[in-house]
Amino acid sequence: MKIEIEALARVEGHGGILVEMEGKKVKNVLFNVFEGPRLIESLTIGKTPAEDVSLVCRVCAICTLSHRYSALRALEKALGIKVPPKTQLTRTLMHFGEMVESHSLHIFFLSLPDLVNRPSAIALLDDFKNEVALALKIKKFGNLIMTTTADRMIHGENPIIGGFGRFPSKEQLVDIKNLAEELLPQAVKAADLVGSFSLPNFFESDTLYVACNPENGEFGFVGDTVLLSSKEELSIEDYKKLTNERVVPHSFAKRSLYKGKPFSVGALARVNLLGERLTGEAGKCFRKYYGPRWKTNPLLNIMAQAIEMVYCLEEIPALVDRIIPLQDPPVVSATRSDGEATGAVEAPRGTLYHHYRIKDGRIAEADIITPTAQNLDDIERYFRLAAENLPTSFNNDPTTILETIARSYDPCLSCSAHLVEVKRTEMPDWKVKLSSVFEGSKRPVFVGLGNIDRADDGLGIVIAQRLKTLGYQGVVAEDEWEKLVSHVSKEGEVPIVFVDAADFGGEPGEVGIFPLSSVKANHVTTHRAVLDFYGQILNSARKGVGDGNTNRNGSNKNRDGNGNTDSSRDGNCNDAGNGNSDGNGRYLLAIQPSSTEFSSEISPAVSRAVDQVTEFVSDFLQNGA
Amino acid sequence: MRRTNLKVGIYEFTGCAGDALTILHSEDELVDFFTVVNVSSFLMAKRDNVEEKLDVALIEGSITTEEQKEKLIEIASRSKQVFAIGICACFGGIQSMKLGLGGWEDRFKKVYGQDKIPIGKAFESRPIDDFVKVDGYIPGCPIDAQQFFRAFTRIINGNNPELYGFPVCMECKWKENQCLLVKDLLCLGPLTAAGCGGACPTYNIPCFGCWGPYEEANLLAQYHLLLEKGFKAEDIKGRVRNFGGKRIVEYLKQLGEGK
Repeated sequence: MKIEIEALARVEGHGGILVEMEGKKVKNVLFNVFEGPRLIESLTIGKTPAEDVSLVCRVCAICTLSHRYSALRALEKALGIKVPPKTQLTRTLMHFGEMVESHSLHIFFLSLPDLVNRPSAIALLDDFKNEVALALKIKKFGNLIMTTTADRMIHGENPIIGGFGRFPSKEQLVDIKNLAEELLPQAVKAADLVGSFSLPNFFESDTLYVACNPENGEFGFVGDTVLLSSKEELSIEDYKKLTNERVVPHSFAKRSLYKGKPFSVGALARVNLLGERLTGEAGKCFRKYYGPRWKTNPLLNIMAQAIEMVYCLEEIPALVDRIIPLQDPPVVSATRSDGEATGAVEAPRGTLYHHYRIKDGRIAEADIITPTAQNLDDIERYFRLAAENLPTSFNNDPTTILETIARSYDPCLSCSAHLVEVKRTEMPDWKVKLSSVFEGSKRPVFVGLGNIDRADDGLGIVIAQRLKTLGYQGVVAEDEWEKLVSHVSKEGEVPIVFVDAADFGGEPGEVGIFPLSSVKANHVTTHRAVLDFYGQILNSARKGVGDGNTNRNGSNKNRDGNGNTDSSRDGNCNDAGNGNSDGNGRYLLAIQPSSTEFSSEISPAVSRAVDQVTEFVSDFLQNGA
Repeated sequence: MRRTNLKVGIYEFTGCAGDALTILHSEDELVDFFTVVNVSSFLMAKRDNVEEKLDVALIEGSITTEEQKEKLIEIASRSKQVFAIGICACFGGIQSMKLGLGGWEDRFKKVYGQDKIPIGKAFESRPIDDFVKVDGYIPGCPIDAQQFFRAFTRIINGNNPELYGFPVCMECKWKENQCLLVKDLLCLGPLTAAGCGGACPTYNIPCFGCWGPYEEANLLAQYHLLLEKGFKAEDIKGRVRNFGGKRIVEYLKQLGEGK
């Protein structure tokens, strides 16, 4: 089965999700990013710091101010600029504006439809008219702050290195304060609404959370260190340890891992790491809804966003009160023309790093790490968990939940509006059949046959050895027939899978599984005699188990009841109830060899097949049949 | 509000999506926009998109992969008129500021490493009129909502979008802004098409050129003026290149080589 979410636009552009499944096992998860490359970092080389700020904000229209702010922090640090309080506070206000705007859009227009099972925000209007109206109001309020502080909503140029071109007037600030006070109680109600929904939980899993640690010890969205939920704290100058950016072939977006593991950034990370610092209404909200699931379920990100929205609306009036009495400071000039530094701010969707080296007043090196680039690997991990643990109530269709997970990370605006396509592809025949063998009441015994000295002919032994290494109990090698007999005597009738190189007319490396009864006529195995020998031994072993044994009866039921669900094991292998005791529950798992020459290596095609078989069994061991 | 049967599609290629977002953020005009015409396709706004024959295609973003190029040509082939919105579609965007200077492949490798990324063959950013016939340009980074809706109203009534035939300086004069060139700042106002309302100079910030070149600007005179003020030739050229893309490359020929 292949699940395709095409055109997940605005993950900084165009992206899509592809999940390839074979049975219950996810073979491949790809969060593709098709957005055309722009090479913005390389284009800033040779530019002045002032030009850089105006160029890099254009990476993204949605997080334009976060990009600008992050660049300003990096460049000012590199140039030895310390901005006065009024500049700092006005930047905080500007940042809150973007946060509020982005969160209200995400909570109400993108995520709420998922939670209440509606196709779009428009379909919400019947039951959630007030909430949609409130969302629009809060969004507009966020826009107003952005326009007031940055001069226009998208790519506003007012925040510059060392300060602002023009500070907002007192009247503008008072308007903002009044609106924030008016909206706060409604935002608290909205958070209660979001908190009232039950969220699916079958993909829950611990992850590592990372967020900026504000210097003042309060909740906030900027800092020169980042906190990790592993209790570590890193200077943002060491961001590369954390982001460890790499390029993957299926995407123009770069990826990030910390110590080889995916991690998450965003509102949920912030509230997990800093939530205890929240006070007032936001603090009440946090204490009312926070719990252990916040560390395992990415869908709670929208609840975290709702709390942050309350936080911002609550902080804005106090912020305005602190800004108003301050005189407009002049723009601070650079104290040097060489330097290197990193800036980080929390964009609505997570930590955003900008790093620059400046030489002779020009950008010599630039590096930008976006939150979505950091989240992609963890999103893929949750996709995998969701697809593999999909409850039956989802009717075998994981697309909705995958979209919901993708959206919960708020990778960007119109992620909401796009289709998921499900394409089902058949699992290779041998896997279907082998799964059905595993789904019986007893684990099969694998018997590896072959000659390890003869290239592909040794594959049965190799597989047996690998399964033993994995800790699989029921594995015997060709010469261990006594073990097999004792196993069968002890366990009663168990399915037995002989693994061998066999010429069944397939492509080299092709895997096939056949009822043993059919092998004689149709297939050539080099170990025909051995199979015959085992057949006889097993017949006598089974007799040894004794008639009337409950085990025996149980397995007879398995084998004989064609209309019985338990019969699927044998039924799928065309081996059930055919009265041929030699074939019942016995199979030949064959790999088509390329070469059976003496002392050559196993051929690449067969080697791959050996890997596939081992991996398949190993998955069953891990996940249970 | 007169309803029409016109079919309109809005498409986004390489860029920041700021132009489509500007349209979406125009809450007051958006309902009219969707009422007056049939919006067949607007991926950012809705999911029930129909790819059909169009009267008007609005294209945002520049073209940076073979796949995009093919898609653009396909859209143009079923559209009576094609308009570029935003400077990426109009001129190539900031990602084409080094057009004609070479070195794109090296920059690509620097950002993405030495390995070829197999998805989509990429190339240096180009404006859409490198590949299809374009009936009009609505510049801006991002576009200005008012200018856009005014132009769009003209388009759906069968007229040319007819943008402002003057540079940013004119808008500054209307706002009675003090001229920043007088303050010896590197302001690109005289060279830049109007439409932003003199956004940056109003905030005491020199024009950065984000509307792209004003067609009738006297680049040569302005260039020499800025040289006299002590700015370096390379800086002036670099600055006009930031948002000028393909169009400024043509104008820069006025300056002659090596100057």
